[in-house]
Amino acid sequence: MRVAVILTILLCILVAEVSGAAAPADQAPATAARLRLTQDGLKISVSTRTPEQVIAFYSARGFAESAVAELAAACMVTVGIRNQRDQVVWLEPASWRLLAADGRTLRRLDRAYWKARWEQLGIPTANRSTFGWTQLPEQRDLRFDEPVGGNLMLARPGQPFDIEARFLLGAARDEGEIVVRIADLQCPDRAVQAAGEPES
Amino acid sequence: MRRAWLIVILLAALTASAAVAVELPKGMMALTARPAPPLRLADMDGRVTDLSTLRGRWVLVHFWASWCGPCRREMPTLASMYARTGLTTVLVNTAESDEEVFAFMSVAAPNMESLMDRDGLVTEAWQPRGLPASFLVDPAGQLRYLALGGRDWESAAYLAFLAAVSRGGAAPAAAAENPR
Repeated sequence: MRVAVILTILLCILVAEVSGAAAPADQAPATAARLRLTQDGLKISVSTRTPEQVIAFYSARGFAESAVAELAAACMVTVGIRNQRDQVVWLEPASWRLLAADGRTLRRLDRAYWKARWEQLGIPTANRSTFGWTQLPEQRDLRFDEPVGGNLMLARPGQPFDIEARFLLGAARDEGEIVVRIADLQCPDRAVQAAGEPES
Repeated sequence: MRRAWLIVILLAALTASAAVAVELPKGMMALTARPAPPLRLADMDGRVTDLSTLRGRWVLVHFWASWCGPCRREMPTLASMYARTGLTTVLVNTAESDEEVFAFMSVAAPNMESLMDRDGLVTEAWQPRGLPASFLVDPAGQLRYLALGGRDWESAAYLAFLAAVSRGGAAPAAAAENPR
């Protein structure tokens, strides 16, 4: 009898661990440099990048000035996600919504957009490769404990915005959905003008 | 009597699942065996490595870049694992310059060399799920396992797994590419 009770408790613990019961979002203030939250078994971090950070990163990797200027003019959001659910979680940024404070839906600058820009600017293959690996994948079936990270690009909104991230569940995408709202993000403007740069 | 049998079956199932967990460490995914894509690249000194010449042994093929945070954390553990196990390990840097690779490797893994995928096209052909990515290629040149993201290669679980693989006791492919 005691063995049966112990087994029942063990099984209950196992079931609880794999069921990924919904937990309230543990969300740090949106004004923090890096926002971290855990919701429904997804660990998520979000940072909006300053133009200086964007310029420093891509310039150091040999990107042409024209490419760096293009990237610094956009709003770059670095997103990290780790799936801690015992089921596949689908990362598909195309299904996410970027919502400005005034209600407008903002346009995400996806890989197709950048591919066309790099072709117009004649950016070398190595730079395109590096840029590609720094972007959030367009699709990923995240397995248990799999991390993924990368940048999400959008046209600079000039106002606070929210990300409404949707994740389908299950290998066949038929086991439900998680919606995570990351509110009140701001894309920082350039803090200091570079020496010799015109005022406007 | 029936209850006793049920308990025995449950215990066996629990034991079996624990055994699988030991064999396939967290973050390691079994792949449906398929031929590894071609890989023939030179290191910074022009020495060429061709994966097809490494048949007959297990090979770890690791894609990385110095700007990638998980790659930076993982590389010293790879170097330590390599020193301890001697597992044939092929590092492939994705689209960086000699200066960037030298500056990083001389600190993070001074006992190892990296091949240079200068335009990133070999990395693209392998279709990793991101950087870093580590594929285990079996002695027949088939892709068999993929480590998801940066992992601790000097951890007991990973060393035990690699030892089992190199003994020929490959972990079960049950937790393969099509989990529930």
